[in-house]
Amino acid sequence: MHGLVVQLQVIHALIMREIKTRFGTHRLGYVWALVEPSLWILTFAGLYWLMGRLSPPGMDVVPFIATGIVPFLLFRGTSSRNVSAIASNKGLLFYPRIRPLDLAIARTILEFATCVMVFVVLLGAYVLLTGHSKFESSLKILLGLGLAAGLGAGVGMSFAGLSVFAQVFERLHNPLIRPLFWTSAVFYPLNAVPSSARDLLLYNPLVHAVELVRDGWFTGYHSRYINAWYPGLWTLGLLFLGLTVERAARRRLQLS
Amino acid sequence: MIELKNVTKVYPTRHGANVVLRDISATFPAMINYGILGRNGAGKSTLLRILAGTEHPDDGSVTRRGRISWPIGFGGGFSGALTGEENSKFVARVYGVDVDQALGFALEFSELGDYFSMPVRTYSSGMRARLAFALSMAVDFDVYLVDEVTAVGDSQFQAKCKRAFDERRNRSSVLIVSHNMGTIKSYCQRAAVLRNGKLLQFDSVAEAAKVYKA
Repeated sequence: MHGLVVQLQVIHALIMREIKTRFGTHRLGYVWALVEPSLWILTFAGLYWLMGRLSPPGMDVVPFIATGIVPFLLFRGTSSRNVSAIASNKGLLFYPRIRPLDLAIARTILEFATCVMVFVVLLGAYVLLTGHSKFESSLKILLGLGLAAGLGAGVGMSFAGLSVFAQVFERLHNPLIRPLFWTSAVFYPLNAVPSSARDLLLYNPLVHAVELVRDGWFTGYHSRYINAWYPGLWTLGLLFLGLTVERAARRRLQLS
Repeated sequence: MIELKNVTKVYPTRHGANVVLRDISATFPAMINYGILGRNGAGKSTLLRILAGTEHPDDGSVTRRGRISWPIGFGGGFSGALTGEENSKFVARVYGVDVDQALGFALEFSELGDYFSMPVRTYSSGMRARLAFALSMAVDFDVYLVDEVTAVGDSQFQAKCKRAFDERRNRSSVLIVSHNMGTIKSYCQRAAVLRNGKLLQFDSVAEAAKVYKA
């Protein structure tokens, strides 16, 4: 029980510290979190307009891209922040109360909270401006975002652990993640993908998380092929792998 | 109380393994100020970090009872980009003490003045050490693990630290590693000598001094 209280104190302290170092001392710092997803939405809205194409039926371009890009950025952000969690905070392990796992948990929570806010702000603004106030299920949206964060944490922790043994893993992370941008139904609805390609895409756990968010937002879109258990099991497996590697790597983590 | 059981620590070097601590077993009871003497490079700081839990032994186990400090000394563990105040806030939160109280205490004890709200990277090493020391005093530890108090600030600040430790004699104790006999004599009731990876323990500082000098 005491151990749990200590861990919560540590995680709280880490989150507060991370907010300061990441968003700076100005309140305006938070606005930066909105910039990347907004740029993606603008880019795609522009592309659609140039190509004279409409977004998929029943889906406005803003919520369509927002529901795709926010979970993807959440996954990518959580993963890359977990990869560097230990390296960039090694000095903090000086305090025996702080363990490597706490660094990972704090970063994951902050990334998740930030992306949920970004989602709320972006789509809140959209709702205010257009008056389309109906969305289907906040539970599905949260579940999808949670799974995206969980997958990111699992991938990131595994890479972080592996890179303690071989530095190359740290550098491999970004190139290996990149294809997921194209294969995660970020800017196309899965239902519209031909079945042969769709069967392949469905092996990618992130597709399920993204489509869950989209399904949860649009009342008129029902993603027919996804299953929340699939990315859930991937998350558990990856977290297990990450924790195992972290445990094996712990002794190697010397303070210089 | 801290107990070491068959603790071994090895660092790999270019010339093969360097055994810093070799199968050390020892008990450091609570409420007794304990000194560990050793020459430069004898492994004192390694031993202190293992006692604190900052580092893990390659073999053997460490048991701790009560609130044990982090290794206090040169002010490791600060982020240079954050101010002294922000660093203090972080440490207070990590150790679950009242933030405002800890900040007030740290500011007063460290005598940093306006530097308290400046990034730590602008500090001299003495200022860092003073902040580290003040912070550790803001958290009520049962055992303070101190690395070379002689490095902390000027003689006036050292006297202040000594007074602070004397004031809390009846609730906490100090474990100091040092190469300086004088430091150990003025603080400790018991001492040990760390040499060639072995810890030679003595019931009095005088006995340890004899062996250390020899």
